[in-house]
Amino acid sequence: MPIVVDHISKSFSERKNKKIRKQVLKDVSFEVPDGCFVSLLGPSGCGKTTTLTIIAGFQDKDSGEILVNGKSVNAPGPDRAFVFQDYALLPWLRVGENITYPMKKQKMSKADQEKRLAELLELAQLQNNKNSYIYELSGGMKQRVALLRALACDPNILLMDEPLGAVDFQMRKLLQIQLEAILMKRKITTLMVTHDVDEAVYLSDRVIVMGRDHGNILADVTIDLPRPRNRSNPAYHAYADQLTELLKKALDGAVFTKEDEDIMNFIRNSEHEARGGGSAE
Amino acid sequence: MKTAPNSHLKSLSQSSQTQRNASKFVKKFNLPALILLAIVCIGWFLGAHLYKKPFVFPYFEEVIGSIAYALSDLAVLRAIGITVRRVLLGTFYGVLIGVPIGMAMGFSTTIMNALAPYVNALRQIPTTAWVPMAIIWFGLGDGPTLFVLALHGVFIVILNTAAGVLEINKEYYNAVRSMGANTLEVITDVVLPGSLPGIITGIRLALGMGWMTVV
Repeated sequence: MPIVVDHISKSFSERKNKKIRKQVLKDVSFEVPDGCFVSLLGPSGCGKTTTLTIIAGFQDKDSGEILVNGKSVNAPGPDRAFVFQDYALLPWLRVGENITYPMKKQKMSKADQEKRLAELLELAQLQNNKNSYIYELSGGMKQRVALLRALACDPNILLMDEPLGAVDFQMRKLLQIQLEAILMKRKITTLMVTHDVDEAVYLSDRVIVMGRDHGNILADVTIDLPRPRNRSNPAYHAYADQLTELLKKALDGAVFTKEDEDIMNFIRNSEHEARGGGSAE
Repeated sequence: MKTAPNSHLKSLSQSSQTQRNASKFVKKFNLPALILLAIVCIGWFLGAHLYKKPFVFPYFEEVIGSIAYALSDLAVLRAIGITVRRVLLGTFYGVLIGVPIGMAMGFSTTIMNALAPYVNALRQIPTTAWVPMAIIWFGLGDGPTLFVLALHGVFIVILNTAAGVLEINKEYYNAVRSMGANTLEVITDVVLPGSLPGIITGIRLALGMGWMTVV
């Protein structure tokens, strides 16, 4: 099992009163099988991002254990490539230098670096932006560069924190298709955090729904659909509806952030569609 | 006078040419500031001649004459050279000491907590108060001047460097660590380039303050 999350708990001390500890995760356990794309879906504040950053090693856990390829991990490492929500591309490096950065750290030869860089840039159609600086790129381009940087060293494990959260709707759909194509070519074990039901169904082999009760796992749904996924397939919508129902329960009417609003809108839209579809038949 | 039929066109293009030159000139020499300088000079000239008490309000032309005379004097030029050297050298020492300390303070909360009270207390001491101590420690000559300049610069550089490091997006550290960078590489690849704007601001301010302290 590439990723095993074994009964992890995490609490933070409150900012105003250090003595009060806020429990975020309590006894959370799940596994990500080899070559499987798993999504963590849930409302804001359910601890899905905390779980992911603990797996990445950016944060400590209070108890429990994370096993990556059988080894317990406590610190970040190149065995787990990470895609950040706000890209975290280094602004003082050019696009090409950002993508070759992990290759340099892995002591890849200069010639191999160039070859791999050309390959990756072509994959994301960014050949003309090799020497651009990050601030010159659009949001979608930045996201693609961030993804290429994560893929640079052919990682076995990919962790993604709302990778498409900051780009607009059109770009999101396009990047989903590109992402699926890339991941289909080479099965990379992937764990993605998202609050977007459609994205979860489109990309995942399995979706884990987390609730607000200390990150308790409400459901573990296997998406058994052929790839590439077809959005007009009725089974696709059945999965989306199932997850929407689960999310609705997890949200329980408590809307805290923009993220929750997105979920609420999605639920409302899907209910509206269901009613509209019903009357047409 | 006979003019060619397209002469007005030519003059038009010429005027746009002069306009472009003018805007270039403004950019290069900061024309508004030059105009203001000219107005002040003319005002001074006229005012002094109307007031007619050169001991209280010297004539403009006499002041300019004295400056020209001083600049032609080798001793004055050498003194200016010494002053410039002192400011640059003193600030250089300040930067040399201040940048590593500032970086350490920005990078580690422990070091920040350990040093911040002393840095903040010491930097409140007026420059002139250091002078007697500096003379006792370094004797007369360049020593005390350089010491005071470096001391003055060091705090400005520390504060700006630390602020520069603190401003770096925390995700950058996670990002390079997850790509396999060790602590040294985190410093060379993130802390140094990321805090460069802060360091440069610190050096500029330290140089500016150096001119004020050097007297």
